[in-house]
Amino acid sequence: MSFGKLVRLSRIIDPSDGRSLVVAADHGLMLGPIKGVVDLEATLRKVIAGGPDAILVSLGQARKLSHLFAGRGAPAMLVRVDWTNAFRDKTYTLPARSIQFNKVATVKEAVKVGASGVVTYLFLGFDGESDHIAMVEEFSSECKTWSMPLIIEPLPMGPRVTKANYVDMVRRAVEKAVELGADALKVPYTGDPYSFKDVVKAASDVPVLVLGGYKALSIRDSLEVISEVLDAGAVGVVFGRNVVQDPNPDEVVRLMRRIIHEKETVTDILREKIKPPVKILVDVERCSGCRICELACSFSHEKVFNPSLARLRVKVSEDGKTFTPYVCNLCYSCVNACPNEALRVNSRTGAVEVSPELCQGCGICVDSCPVKVLKLINGRLLLCDLCNGLPECVKWCSRNALRVEGGW
Amino acid sequence: MNLNLSGRGYAGVIVKLDLSSGRVEKVALSQRDALMVLGGKGLGSLLLYNSVRRGVDPLSRENPLILATGPLTGTLAPSSCRFSIVTKSPHTGLFLDSNCGGFFGVELKKAGFDAVMITGKASQLSIVVIDNGDVYVEDAKWLMGLKTMEAEKKVKDRLGEEFRVLTIGPAGEELVPIAGIFTDQRCAGRGGAGAVMGSKNLKSIAVRGEKPITVYDPDGFKKACWRAHRRIRMHEVTARSLPIYGTVNIIETINEAGALPTKNFKTGVFQDTWKISGYEWRRELWKKDKACFGCPIACSKLAFTSDYIVDGPDYETLWALGPLCGVSDKEAIVYANWLCDAYGVDTISTGVIVSFVMELYERKILKSEDLDEVNAKWGSSEALLKLVEKICKGDGVGKELRLGVKKLSIKYGYEDIAMHVKGLEMPGYEPRASKGMGLGYATSDRGACHLRAYTADKELLAYGGAVDPVKVDGKAKLVVDYQNEKALIDSTGICFFASFALSFREIGEMLATATGLPLDEADTLRTIGERVYNLTRLFNVREGVRRRDDCLPRRLLEEAMPEGPAKGSVVELDKMLNEYYVLRGWDENGVPKSETIKRLNLDLIISLED
Repeated sequence: MSFGKLVRLSRIIDPSDGRSLVVAADHGLMLGPIKGVVDLEATLRKVIAGGPDAILVSLGQARKLSHLFAGRGAPAMLVRVDWTNAFRDKTYTLPARSIQFNKVATVKEAVKVGASGVVTYLFLGFDGESDHIAMVEEFSSECKTWSMPLIIEPLPMGPRVTKANYVDMVRRAVEKAVELGADALKVPYTGDPYSFKDVVKAASDVPVLVLGGYKALSIRDSLEVISEVLDAGAVGVVFGRNVVQDPNPDEVVRLMRRIIHEKETVTDILREKIKPPVKILVDVERCSGCRICELACSFSHEKVFNPSLARLRVKVSEDGKTFTPYVCNLCYSCVNACPNEALRVNSRTGAVEVSPELCQGCGICVDSCPVKVLKLINGRLLLCDLCNGLPECVKWCSRNALRVEGGW
Repeated sequence: MNLNLSGRGYAGVIVKLDLSSGRVEKVALSQRDALMVLGGKGLGSLLLYNSVRRGVDPLSRENPLILATGPLTGTLAPSSCRFSIVTKSPHTGLFLDSNCGGFFGVELKKAGFDAVMITGKASQLSIVVIDNGDVYVEDAKWLMGLKTMEAEKKVKDRLGEEFRVLTIGPAGEELVPIAGIFTDQRCAGRGGAGAVMGSKNLKSIAVRGEKPITVYDPDGFKKACWRAHRRIRMHEVTARSLPIYGTVNIIETINEAGALPTKNFKTGVFQDTWKISGYEWRRELWKKDKACFGCPIACSKLAFTSDYIVDGPDYETLWALGPLCGVSDKEAIVYANWLCDAYGVDTISTGVIVSFVMELYERKILKSEDLDEVNAKWGSSEALLKLVEKICKGDGVGKELRLGVKKLSIKYGYEDIAMHVKGLEMPGYEPRASKGMGLGYATSDRGACHLRAYTADKELLAYGGAVDPVKVDGKAKLVVDYQNEKALIDSTGICFFASFALSFREIGEMLATATGLPLDEADTLRTIGERVYNLTRLFNVREGVRRRDDCLPRRLLEEAMPEGPAKGSVVELDKMLNEYYVLRGWDENGVPKSETIKRLNLDLIISLED
């Protein structure tokens, strides 16, 4: 690799730990004025406060916002040099009818605005592949001329991509990108660490960054993905909407840094946020009655799927109009009702615990529970232990109908 | 070696019930069948193929009604509520599977059964009760003539709130060929499974189960499920479009692509689509999101009116009872939806019938005196409601209309504008503006169906890259791939919508950890899908289906699309069909070649003689 490329790449991937956190903010070009990029300067100021290694922008924004990238400690600038209509889905007036793409900047222009790298797509699976590869090859040779790191984003795209071949297509696209001279890759996560290890292997030592895509339901989901891909061999991520569409981009970047550069785990971060007693909050309006909480609870505690073994319950109203989750609300009626003092409160989580040697199985506690989530089955008391502080029901709820105070 | 599949996602048992004799037989699900066809649609198809002869009357005692769950049904796999209803259709006389959500399938597996197969005929209107492994038949004269929701409620009142109930409405009892089967406000609507149930004198099936569902590798399975859930929470379609606007989220896009069939497929553009967009429904009538069991998406939207609650309308229902008839009156559409649900008929078929009648009326072939004084003008919500009510209740001309557009077109002529394939009315994507959907309808195993090859996602919605919808190049391959994938999904127990966010690798991970069987490779799953699709084809071939039946109404083949992005287009079906048969390994007449049958090992599980 040329010296110029090495120097520039070192601004993107931190040489001290070989890791990188890039925030993508080039959506205006492909997706239009989505949330978070309308007043891009305001958003990026917050992003920068969190300390990303680099930010990906279009050439136009690079010129407008050059001041954000100037000065010591400022993030490195990456410039998107191509455009495509492929992401123009049904959110827009008319979805794309065939995949189009174009160069929208030269590497020379990227040098002039002070970029440390350029980013281009490489699609595999559609009719225009040969023209597309020719375009990427042109970028590749321009990058050689200007000693500019080339970051290729290999993506399966188009009619020949299926559910069955998707993972294989990612791997093949990555191989092609490497052949075309990528200095780093921006790759979609294949969804599981096993197949992703193969993808990293296919990159043959070219650093792999993972893209974020559509905004996750909760920041916890994106942090978990980051943690998982790092374990599978990625050096970092290029996350956009999960950062810029969050109300607090600075906080998100800080949390992502902790995973990427400080090597903390998601559980560590969560435990720090949630202060005992761990209180599960219920939003009845949001509940759809899906019972995933009951399944997750039954499986976590009993290793079987049976909602009737869950430590919480969802009640459908008589008229069918509302679904109400009932969870242990830490009222401790059961603790007070127990004649044998078999129940006590865990000081760390606030959950009720039972001493099996003291419990007589009399069921008085069950009758005392105002929300009827205590169960006595074959002499065994089933009670909510708050999953040691990180409730599974909350984690699996896709609608935020269940939340933990202070958590996500 | 034959493993006991119980505790591997499966219950391990199939129960066969003969209503004529009352005989109940329980057989083990074999490891070979599970590996070959998985469950759900695949298992149902295999049971159906092997249990009936060619030409069996769909409404006779011999035709079985099969309810089959998949290995993921009832687990933490996303949207794991699905089960398939498989039978021979009285509407098409061919293979029928209808995939359904709700809570019934889960309860069936908890009761200890992967599948139920019901044959024979009860001596009087009855209900089958499946209570934790016990299967028995009760007299149900007290349910006679009840609407679906009333019947479901009465059964629960009698047997217990925990029971999950499948039921037919009055239309099913009257053996109407467009009658569906209903549960938890959801519907296995298409192809007349409700009439098969009715022909057995069976009003309802109630099930309750307390047996836990267990999997082979709990820790591995939980991780795989969580990754799949996380994927769904990070995908635009499953995290935003479907949760907020349900399936109706697509209606404006479909219209702008010129692919929203309007006025009995005269055109693909409807002027008033904005009045019935997901946004408008959400603003005015939809008051609650409702999920099936285990579903993080919750695509169902409940419309509350002063008199009733409707689960819907979903996209297909909205289109069929709306734009297809030129109607954009939300109150009328939601009431028509309620009528169909209450009396127990398929909303798609009903809408296509009404629009066919409206076109004949506008062309002055039918007059209002032929229609019990209904002025069946395009866009008349009054006419829509009157005709739907007649179809539902079988009043007057409704008795004839409810037989479907194929029979009507044979009587009145105008077969070129009777919008059906193999007798099943066509769903809401205009084939001239999305050629893959056209080929999909023509080659679908149950007649015109959008859910056998949902190429609209690439042709019209551009998820995962766009494909020119009007071109035919590459469409045969796309349809083959999609049909195979969908056949696999319908055999797992998870919902097609959840699969939008998932690759086969992720689904394979869940299947392998749940069953302990070698199902993790994407290619293994693709082959199972292909095997199941060939199996259903072989069923239809045995019934006499050939190339001539893989057709579309002449309107789509000869009448140019008058406006919109697909203006001037007709469906070049023959060209696509030639390519399709080659890719499938079927001969030029549409019959699977013997080497294809061998390659898929189908000869090992079915007998190829009549």
